[in-house]
Amino acid sequence: MRFLELASRNLKETYRDPLALGFLLAFPLLFMLLFGVVVGGEATPNFPIGIIDNDHTQVSQVFVNEALAEVDAFEVSTYDDATKAMKDLKFGDLKAYIVIPQGFGQQVIQSGQGDEANITLNITYDESDIMVSEQIISMINAVTRSFANIEIPITIDSNPIHIETEITYIDFIAPGIIIFGLLILIPTSARIMIHDKEKGMLSRLLTTPARPVDFISGYSLCLIAIAIVQIIIFIAAAWGFGMDIVGSLWLAFLIFFLAGLCSIGIGMVVASLTKTENQAEPLCWIFAMPLAILSGCWFSLEIMPSYIRNIAYAFPFAHAIDASRGVLIRGVGLEAISGDLLFLVGWAVGIFAIGVILFRRSMRS
Amino acid sequence: MPSDRAESVKVSSDLAIQTSNMTKIFNGLVAVDGIDLNIKKGELFALLGPNGAGKTTTINMLCCLLKPTGGTATVMGYDINRQPFKIKEIIGVSPQETVISEHLNCWENLALIGKIHSIKAGELKIRSQQLLETMGLGDRAKDQARKFSGGMKRRLNIMMALIHKPEVLFLDEPTLGLDPQARRAIWEYIVRLKRETTILLTTHYMDEADFLADRIGIMDKGKIVALGTSTELKISVLEKHTMIIYAWNLTQRVISEMRSKYDEVEVTNGTMIITDKRLDFKEIVDLLHSSGAVVRSAYIKEPTLDDVFLHITGKELRE
Ligand SMILES: Nc1ncnc2c1ncn2[C@@H]1O[C@H](COP(=O)(O)OP(=O)(O)O)[C@@H](O)[C@H]1O
Ligand SMILES: [Mg+2]
Repeated sequence: MRFLELASRNLKETYRDPLALGFLLAFPLLFMLLFGVVVGGEATPNFPIGIIDNDHTQVSQVFVNEALAEVDAFEVSTYDDATKAMKDLKFGDLKAYIVIPQGFGQQVIQSGQGDEANITLNITYDESDIMVSEQIISMINAVTRSFANIEIPITIDSNPIHIETEITYIDFIAPGIIIFGLLILIPTSARIMIHDKEKGMLSRLLTTPARPVDFISGYSLCLIAIAIVQIIIFIAAAWGFGMDIVGSLWLAFLIFFLAGLCSIGIGMVVASLTKTENQAEPLCWIFAMPLAILSGCWFSLEIMPSYIRNIAYAFPFAHAIDASRGVLIRGVGLEAISGDLLFLVGWAVGIFAIGVILFRRSMRS
Repeated sequence: MPSDRAESVKVSSDLAIQTSNMTKIFNGLVAVDGIDLNIKKGELFALLGPNGAGKTTTINMLCCLLKPTGGTATVMGYDINRQPFKIKEIIGVSPQETVISEHLNCWENLALIGKIHSIKAGELKIRSQQLLETMGLGDRAKDQARKFSGGMKRRLNIMMALIHKPEVLFLDEPTLGLDPQARRAIWEYIVRLKRETTILLTTHYMDEADFLADRIGIMDKGKIVALGTSTELKISVLEKHTMIIYAWNLTQRVISEMRSKYDEVEVTNGTMIITDKRLDFKEIVDLLHSSGAVVRSAYIKEPTLDDVFLHITGKELRE
């Protein structure tokens, strides 16, 4: 089996190079660690949030007391009117305040009955701190959605919807960070392949009877092994920093794995289109960085304009973040994320096919 | 092309490599300019030429790494354009730049190539052991290649081309950048390979071609400009002899005196080089003395491949 020999050689080359290995393993770990120190564990941020309940129904009271107030990262205080809340917001005593409009309870019940409903919350926030404000919005969004879901008795799928009232900051942000870690597989894959090309190893091996498919599977197997180890480290680290794993770990793993395959595929395409590491490296980051931002690794997609969101969802990573967040935070099952999964599989297959074609073409000139 | 087919029919069984009008053009730059080579089985053929002559490009086409722009070639009867994988099965290649897997040890590097060639584990081990011993890397076999000296890496590079007992061996500048001692060691090993394997070696060291090759093709600007055994090539320039004289007092009078008698007379810093069809050592020395020069030392130069190259191309084959 030629490709196994090539894969084993590629792996040895990688794990015996302390620098490369350090980059592959320590980098994600360090990233998670830094991240954990900043946001995880004890240091859960405390966002003071004001609430003005204009609805005064039982539903709205339950929403405030049992959903919003239970979010670890929120410190909820109620206000009678918006003027006072606005003043506190301006003084920095509040990060945001929510006005629950009249009819909120009615709408929630309506949606619970399966009727068309328009659940709105009016959120005023301090936009000077974009990182914080958008996290707050995303979290309120997530909480509200899961709150509204509780009231839906006709949940079709058999997966029990998890009543998540303790969404911590790390719960929310970890999937995005993991996907960012997997986006870094783009430069990693390209580097491993382009290194052999630049050093003449590919040409050397092309004078042997090894076939294109042997090379591609040889590299892919090695990179898949790296991806698997990285995903395990990422999940373990996120868990170590307090991420709750509500849904199926295997399902989350599958999502991350497919995202990893897409990164490897993109890396392979870049490696086929370039000749040197110096060309490949910037090209990879040109892919990875915008994709990280676009896909919502750091910023929630919900605040982005819709055309940006459309672009984001043309790539696999936003789907992977949505799906893994759903599985990890809300505990949704396979059916709920099957659309995202199919998209990921399609993308992985497509990008590999392109990678193989380009690689073959770059082999003999 | 129909003409190609006519050529490949001619493949006779005693030829290992045959090229006909093989050409490679890189974006308008003619790297290999229609060369015709016939290398016999068991022969050690050296392509000798300066950097940029097109030696590596020639080898790369024969290894099926590059597609010729024109012409064809066969290796052991297989066509490089149509049967590349047949050829890849039976050739061994030691590239110009050392290409080894830096983080693998000798055994693993040899196994990488060996297993791609589907050699059985048992045979692979015996063969590796043999190679490691003859090439003097036995005691370092378990060290990762990145810790090796240039000469050791070079030897490993060659061993990797030999592990599967190729029928045709391509050695692209096998001693490039090595010190004289390391070069000697590799030469001795290559000499031992002669006859078992057909070898096409490239070099820009004339002494290497002289020492190793059965036949030499001198290559310049993509063309084979001369071809033959070392002796044949030297005889071709023997019609002219060169005498080198180190002397004091090489005045203008002395020089014009000598110029009137001999075809070519060059003088630089107390060195006089005289070239002519016929040279008599004593006659020249006497003539110099009588015209006032003081000869310190003088000798008649044996022709070298360098002279052959100079004679044909009008420039030096620089080392
Ligand atoms: N891949 C390439 N692209 C463009 N030009 C090339 C390429 N490879 C070689 N050349 C050119 O072809 C000529 C012959 O090169 P090469 O075969 O390497 O010579 P040698 O091995 O005799 O030193 C040189 O002028 C070199 O610059
Ligand atoms: Mg060369």
